[in-house]
Amino acid sequence: MSILEVTNLKIHFPIKTGLFNRTVNHIKAVDGVSFQIEQGKTYGLVGESGSGKSTIGRGVIGLEKITSGKVIFNGVDITSKNSNRKEIRKNLQMIFQDPYSSLNPRKRILDIIAEPLRNFEKLTKKEEIKRVEELLELVGLSKENMMKYPHQFSGGQRQRIGVARAIALKPKLIIADEPVSALDVSVQAQVLNFLQDIQKELGLTYLFISHDLGIVKHFCDEISIMYKGRYVEQGTIEEIFNNPQHIYTKRLISAIPDMNPSNRDKQFRLRKKVQQEFDQRYHDYFDSEGLAYGLKSVSETHLVALQEDVEKVW
Amino acid sequence: MELDKKETQSQQNMEHNSTGLRILWTELVRDKLALVSLIMLIVIVVFVYGISFVMDQDEIVKVDLFSIHEPPSKEFILGTDYGGRDVFGQLIIGTRNSLSIGFIVTFLSGVIGVIFGLVAGYFGGHIDNILMRVLDFFQVLPFIMLVIVFVSIVPNYTIVAFSLIFTAFSWMGIARLIRSKALQEKELDYVQASKTLGTSHFKIIFREVMPNISSLIIVTMTLNLASNIGLESGLSFLGFGFPESTPSLGTLLSYATNPQTLENRWWIWVPAAVMILVLMLAVRNVGEALRRATDARQRKG
Repeated sequence: MSILEVTNLKIHFPIKTGLFNRTVNHIKAVDGVSFQIEQGKTYGLVGESGSGKSTIGRGVIGLEKITSGKVIFNGVDITSKNSNRKEIRKNLQMIFQDPYSSLNPRKRILDIIAEPLRNFEKLTKKEEIKRVEELLELVGLSKENMMKYPHQFSGGQRQRIGVARAIALKPKLIIADEPVSALDVSVQAQVLNFLQDIQKELGLTYLFISHDLGIVKHFCDEISIMYKGRYVEQGTIEEIFNNPQHIYTKRLISAIPDMNPSNRDKQFRLRKKVQQEFDQRYHDYFDSEGLAYGLKSVSETHLVALQEDVEKVW
Repeated sequence: MELDKKETQSQQNMEHNSTGLRILWTELVRDKLALVSLIMLIVIVVFVYGISFVMDQDEIVKVDLFSIHEPPSKEFILGTDYGGRDVFGQLIIGTRNSLSIGFIVTFLSGVIGVIFGLVAGYFGGHIDNILMRVLDFFQVLPFIMLVIVFVSIVPNYTIVAFSLIFTAFSWMGIARLIRSKALQEKELDYVQASKTLGTSHFKIIFREVMPNISSLIIVTMTLNLASNIGLESGLSFLGFGFPESTPSLGTLLSYATNPQTLENRWWIWVPAAVMILVLMLAVRNVGEALRRATDARQRKG
């Protein structure tokens, strides 16, 4: 059963100018995106800066106004006004990209982690401290840290405090918006492994937003590639990495550095080939505005944005 | 050795000063001019409020035709004015009134301005638009003229009434400043995080955003205090302040418009002028030091 079902999601931002703040145009940050996430799985959203991947996450959790489309979480349509917002909030949490700005510098760690508990659960002071202790332990920090302030921690520790806050209410789905991109590489692995550990432990589902293909390959079950607010390709990890169909995906994957120096020539030829294909067949993949076409299915799980007749040419 | 000591001390500071208030304090102590100003200010305030407590205002403002324009003597420390009234007594009561008005106006306009600015900045969009147009309306009104009109309309003219009238026209500056800061602050992730954690807007505004701009609020209010202390004196000088039955620094100063007094009877207007100068400079020095402290690049150390 899918826990999150997004259908034809559109998030447009108005461009306002002139004397009366008239809306002259829209930026289509997210333009008709559909996907579903199974319980306990990790779904990766990949794309370049400005492709709209973060906007999807923020739209789902309610930080961005959804222009149109449906978001069904746990069987409830959360875009409709009469849905129970509070219950949804509790089961849907977010890990933020920047561990330096996502923790209020004026609050102790205890207050930061207890914030969701105070909003949703009536706990006594003692129970609250006990819960925060448990959470700190879960993310690998000692309970002595409870009375400290965020600036006394390193980036990795801060991010784990952010994670502790997100899992405090035992949510069903966590939106991780580039959770490790602000950390240095040695700490990235630490945080990612930790995220996988608590996923098993608590049965979490992740919507994992990233631009790092290496991490996504290591972390996700299913991924989708985004470009300018639209899906370019969607499928399982194996399908995307071993059998990319769209030129944009091919270019991304051929750009992943190869550690083995003996593959250098092979890698070079591959990139050359992909570049050639991009130069010659650009209009088979992108329409006149430079946007991706609608999705066509290649296999049951693998979808690619291609023109109808391209498949015949091939 | 000393360096070591300093280092451990600064480390300790690092551990505790997350409130930012401590930074303000250390910076204030380091700036000798500001520290002297602060001490002087405290001394003046304590002195003025202390003495005025035992003084009888009615006695001071009573006209005594037998002791007009007396120079300073044992009986009258700072002489008397054209009504034979004790200048020293008027100076103390006048300073107390100016200080009280300054404090009340600063506090009230601070509270209104901070709430207004935070709400406008935090919500943004239409709410911001509407609130800012209200603010613009208040800002285009001719301040001095309106105060004069109000002053002549209000029959019972007290310090509180005076302060309220002033507050109504002096909260806009701080509201604007706080709004601009709140606009920045609400985009930070910790505010967004609080939203996703189900915290109410009210709590986010006053428990999350406000503590983070507290140093700005303190600095602005201190600087406002300097100008607010001078407000009443200015109006009294023009003749629109308190009547002569209520002593005021401005009234004492306005006696200097008489060339005779200006030239021959310095004891009437010099003390008041010096008092205004010292008060405003002292508050301003403290305020400037605080303002510098909030900007890491301008700190002394």
